[in-house]
Amino acid sequence: MKQKKRRKISLQKKVFFILMILVLFLSLLNIAKAKGLLIPKQEPVDVKNKVVDLHKLTLEQKIAQMVVVVGITENYWPWKNMQLGGIHLFSRHNENIFNNTIIDFQYQMAIPFFVTSDLEGCVSPFRFIREFTPASEVDTINKAFEKGVEEGQFLHRLGFNLNFAPVVDLKDDIWKCRSFPGDEIKISELAQAYLTGLQTQGVLGTAKHYPGKTLIVKDPHKYIVAAEIGKKDVYPYKYLEEKGEVKAIMVSHIIASGQINSEGVPSVVSKTVLDDLRVNFNGLIVSDEIHMLGLQDFYGSLDEMYIAVFKAGNDVVLNFDKDPNEIYHMIQAVTAAVERGEIPEAQIDASVTRILKAKGFTVK
Amino acid sequence: MASERTLFIINVSLGLLSVLLLAMLLGMELPTLGQAQYALDKEEPVCMIEWSGNSTAFDDIDRCCLQAREQLECQAESKDALDWVCGTGAGLRIWLNDKAYNYCKQQPYW
Repeated sequence: MKQKKRRKISLQKKVFFILMILVLFLSLLNIAKAKGLLIPKQEPVDVKNKVVDLHKLTLEQKIAQMVVVVGITENYWPWKNMQLGGIHLFSRHNENIFNNTIIDFQYQMAIPFFVTSDLEGCVSPFRFIREFTPASEVDTINKAFEKGVEEGQFLHRLGFNLNFAPVVDLKDDIWKCRSFPGDEIKISELAQAYLTGLQTQGVLGTAKHYPGKTLIVKDPHKYIVAAEIGKKDVYPYKYLEEKGEVKAIMVSHIIASGQINSEGVPSVVSKTVLDDLRVNFNGLIVSDEIHMLGLQDFYGSLDEMYIAVFKAGNDVVLNFDKDPNEIYHMIQAVTAAVERGEIPEAQIDASVTRILKAKGFTVK
Repeated sequence: MASERTLFIINVSLGLLSVLLLAMLLGMELPTLGQAQYALDKEEPVCMIEWSGNSTAFDDIDRCCLQAREQLECQAESKDALDWVCGTGAGLRIWLNDKAYNYCKQQPYW
């Protein structure tokens, strides 16, 4: 009887040790997964004399180049291993943290990241470091140019190369500081001067938020925003396109009607809106951040939304999900969609070519 | 050494933990406290933008969350029916009520 009991305890002990090892193993796997360490590393990209052979990039590498994520240091390895197109930096306490983060991310990247910010003036991730003039207080061409130069110098010194500014929405009823003052003509001229100043410092500018009216929207649904777009709203974009200074345009989630008609879907996933924009613009079309219910609610799943954003013709897609597995999953979902023929590979190639050229590469 | 009964209870617990860890590894997501708080709160989400002493309601909650997140940190501070403030000093500040803040916390970039 005693022996039988001892044998039972001995069996329980064995099960205990096996389960302990299993729990330990699964815990380690979960930690590795959460840190994105289970994501396979991409093959190195062969870049010589700033020339990239597009045909030598895998489809995954090309799609990864189109993605900008949030540049958190916890995701240092997965972001680098996936060879993503860019990192967007939120606020930090001092210049050194910004600078070191950027240096670490760019280290040994054959194709460097776009390092992006939302420095508009009153909206700024650098509030702990210094204040910048709000766009609403910039009322002359000279002041706009100086603002561009000042912000460009500052961003360039820290290592940024793409700024999501200026705002060219005509009215700013909510923030009251993000848009330039004046009518559509004045705003266009000021934006042009700002872009010239910014870009002389090696930082690309982005006119936003196409097609306009994102800063006056009031909607009882809270998460879905719609607006009637007039000729005046799109005037700044046409003006900047003609001048040739604007290198990127950000498209919003607004459901547009009127002069620009997104046909009931958010502008950022409307092929009609993006094709129309593309007619006179060969720069980068940048999506607004894609985690907004106004966009997500249009789709049954995240995968469908991911595919729609790429399919519409955005060159650069902002996905600030901190989970590296989700970003990897998005790249996989879009890759599969291209392989199925749902998104033409030529369209992806054209986007990646624009991105690489904006990063200073020659593409063959 | 522990008794047979104690070992049995520990083993069952470890077995359940293994299943849970395996499910998480395969992508199962557990509901968070923030989600529960958000679901139970029947108030409307409110976001207010404060600039130069003037406050304006901002109905696009998703955009409000993203801008708030860019400000580095939000602190609990009461003002009228608002509970959280994001931003520092005299510059631009974003105010949120609990409902909006709990919604923002669920966003994958928060």
